[in-house]
Amino acid sequence: MRYTHHLRFMLGCLAALLILPFVLQATGSSYLISTATRLVVFAIAAVSLDLLIGYAGLVSFGHAAFLGVGAYTVGILSFHAYEETTLIGLPGSLSGLVALPLALALSALAALVVGALSLRTRGVYFIMITLSFGQMLFFLFVSLEQYGGDDGMMMFEGRNTLPLLDLNDRVSFYYFCLAWFVLFFWFCTWLVRSKFGRTLAAIKQNQDRLSSIGINAYWAKLQVFVIAGVGAGLAGALSANHTEFVSPALTHWTRSGDLMIVVILGGMGTLVGPVLGTFLFLLLEEFLPLILRGLGLGLLSEHWRFVFGPILILVVLYAKTGLYGLIFPRRD
Amino acid sequence: MLEIRNLCKSFGALKAADDVSLTVERGTIHALIGPNGAGKTTLIALLSGYLQPSSGTMTFDGQDLLAIPTHLRPHAGLVRSFQITSVFPEMSVRENVCLVLQSFAGQARSLFRLADADRAEQEEAEAMLARVGLIDQADALTGNLAHGQKRQVEIAMALAARPKLLLLDEPTAGMGVEESRRIMDLLEDLRESVTMLLVEHDMDVVFGLADRVSVLVYGKVIASDTPGRIRVNADVREAYLGDHELHGEAG
Repeated sequence: MRYTHHLRFMLGCLAALLILPFVLQATGSSYLISTATRLVVFAIAAVSLDLLIGYAGLVSFGHAAFLGVGAYTVGILSFHAYEETTLIGLPGSLSGLVALPLALALSALAALVVGALSLRTRGVYFIMITLSFGQMLFFLFVSLEQYGGDDGMMMFEGRNTLPLLDLNDRVSFYYFCLAWFVLFFWFCTWLVRSKFGRTLAAIKQNQDRLSSIGINAYWAKLQVFVIAGVGAGLAGALSANHTEFVSPALTHWTRSGDLMIVVILGGMGTLVGPVLGTFLFLLLEEFLPLILRGLGLGLLSEHWRFVFGPILILVVLYAKTGLYGLIFPRRD
Repeated sequence: MLEIRNLCKSFGALKAADDVSLTVERGTIHALIGPNGAGKTTLIALLSGYLQPSSGTMTFDGQDLLAIPTHLRPHAGLVRSFQITSVFPEMSVRENVCLVLQSFAGQARSLFRLADADRAEQEEAEAMLARVGLIDQADALTGNLAHGQKRQVEIAMALAARPKLLLLDEPTAGMGVEESRRIMDLLEDLRESVTMLLVEHDMDVVFGLADRVSVLVYGKVIASDTPGRIRVNADVREAYLGDHELHGEAG
C-alpha cells in the first residue's frame, strides 16, 4: 500500500538523519555536519511554504521575509547582549529560552500583518504583493545601520545558550535543529489531515464556494499564513544560530525564489517533497560548482545556476509531482 | 420567512432586478420561474450575498439580510445550491458533505481533530448521501461523477447545512428522469421542515411541488400566485408559459 510505503520511507529518512553525524565523523568528513544542519533548517522553511503553495494554493513570493524576522530577532538580541545596551528599554539576551520564543512570536506578528493585507488579493496580485512585502522587509533590514546595514552582523557572543545543551557543539546543535524539524514536520502532517487541512483543500479547489457553506476563507487563509510564517521564523532563528551571522541576504527575494524552487522541485502538497527538494538543492549548490570545476568547466562553476536552471526545467517537465512523484509514482 | 422589498440590481444599463418585491411564507415551497435572462439567478445571488443590491431591503427570519456577511448567512439558516455545479472536485463525495458538516459544527479551522477520524460526522454525511440516492458513490472522487450525480452532491451539501430557507437554483437541471424524480420526492419530504425558494425551468417540478409561483420577466415580478392561477394568468402565458405548452417540456 502506498501509505505504508510512504511511512517506511519517512522512517528510513529519519533514521538516516539520526545516525548521520556518526557516519560523517566515522568517515572523517565531520565538516559536513554543518551542511546537514543547513539542510534540516531550510527544510523547515520549505515545508512551511508547502503549506501555503501546496495545500492552500497560496503562492507566496515573500516567504523569506519571515526567515529574516526570526534571524534578526536572534541577532538583535545577541547584539544588545554583547554591547550591553538596550532596545526600547529592554536588554539583549543570549538565552535561547528568550530568543527563540520571541523570534516565533515576532514572525507570527509579521505574518499576521502581511497576511491580513495581502490575503485580500488573489492570484497574480497575491504573488506580487507578497513579493513587495518581502522586499519592504529586505530594505528595512538593509536600513538598520546599527545592525550592520546591508553587510549584516556577526553574533560575537556565539550561539544562544540553553540549560543542559551546548549549542556551540556542532553535533548537539545538529540534533537540536533536527528535533525542531521533526516536531514541525509532524505538526504539518497533522495539520493537513485535520479538519482545518480539509478546509484548506477546499480553498485550493473552489474558493468561491466556501462562503455558501458558511466558511470565511479569509480567516482560514490568514491562519495558515501565520502558521507558515512561524515555521519560516523558526528556520530563520535556527539559521542565525547556525551561522552566527545575520544579514539582509536571508530575506532577499531570490531567497524566496529558492524556497519556491525547492517546493516545486520536491513536489508541492506532499510535505516530504520539499524536504527532498531542499536536500537536492543544497547538494547541487554545494557540489555542482565542484563537479563543474572537476570537469574543467571553471567558468560555469561560478555560474552554477546556469546549469541548475535546465535541471529544474527538466524536473518540472518530466516529473510533474517533483522528486516525490519519482519516488512514489501514482499507480491509479 | 423572507421579505424582499423594492430590490434593484443593475449591471450597467441592464436591470437584472427591477423593483422586485416578494414574500416567501414559512413552510412553503415557493417557485420562481421566468424565461432565460429574467434575473432568477441574480436574485439568488443577491439573497445569498454573492452580489450586493443597488437598492432595496431583504428581511430573513426577522433579520436584515444585508447586515449579515455572506459567509454567515448559511449559519443564520439561509443556504443556497448552485445552478452551475460547484463542488470540490478533488475530494470524495463523502468529504464534500463532511466539509459542510464541519463548517456548521464550528470546526472549519480546527487543528485538533483529524478529518477522517470523526466517525459521527461521516455517518451523518452518509445519511445525507443516502437521502439523495448517492450512497454507493460516497468514496468516489467528486470530479469523476456524471453531471447529474454532481447535482445530487449539491443537494446533499445544501441539506447538510440544515437550512431554514433553502434557495435551490435549478436543482434538477441536467439530471436524468429517475434522479429528478428522487429529488422531487426528497423536496416533498422536506416540505414540513424547510422553506424553499425554488428556481426551476422544469414545469413538471414547479407545478408538482410549488405552493406558490412567482414569475420574473426582465427583472420584474409580473405575477405571484398559486400554481393554478398562474397557469391561467394571461400575462404569464404570453411572457412565458405559452412557449412551453407549445414546445413541450423546457430544457
